Amino acid sequence: MKNRLRELRGERGWSQAELADRLEVSRQSVNAIETGKYDPSLPLAFRLARLFAMRIEEIFTDEA
Amino acid sequence: MPGMNPAKRRYLIRFLSTTGVYVIISLALVHYLVQVRPTGPVVYFLALLPAIPIIGSIVVIGLYIAEEKDEFQRRLLELSLLWGMGGTLATTSTWGFLETFAQVHLTSPPVSPLFWVFTLFIVCTAIARIGLDVYYRSRK
Repeated sequence: MKNRLRELRGERGWSQAELADRLEVSRQSVNAIETGKYDPSLPLAFRLARLFAMRIEEIFTDEA
Repeated sequence: MPGMNPAKRRYLIRFLSTTGVYVIISLALVHYLVQVRPTGPVVYFLALLPAIPIIGSIVVIGLYIAEEKDEFQRRLLELSLLWGMGGTLATTSTWGFLETFAQVHLTSPPVSPLFWVFTLFIVCTAIARIGLDVYYRSRK
């Protein structure tokens, strides 16, 4: 699954560590999601969506 | 341990504790058995002692999976454990065939050192964890 996490994080000027703190996950987790190596669960995807005030499908796209 | 979440900190402290107890009991047991050479039912009791911290370590791993709130960290451990199990099963099965069909034995009389299986599992799991950390740390 592709995502716009790096772009959205960059727009807000947050580091991976800052985003990780806001999500209460490790920086390694944020990096794994950003690079598309790990697809988050639905609850974590909802937390991300709430944090960026967007819909999940605006952050994640169902592309290979 | 700055920067480490509470679940992982508890896990490391618990795991190092059970491992430490295992090493101490094992060394003391070997020394005692060689020096005192006890006989009778006490030998069975003494022989079972090192199994207690090993079972404790397994419980500690299960507790961490239950307590870790970061799903990706849980996933990393679960993948490491799967690789660890795979490595252990592959190694012990291969060793078993060598013992059975090729009479390859480490000791005389031949005794399968089954007590090393858990250590082998931990080593395989640790190697897998290092590999996974390297893979997930890369930015591509």
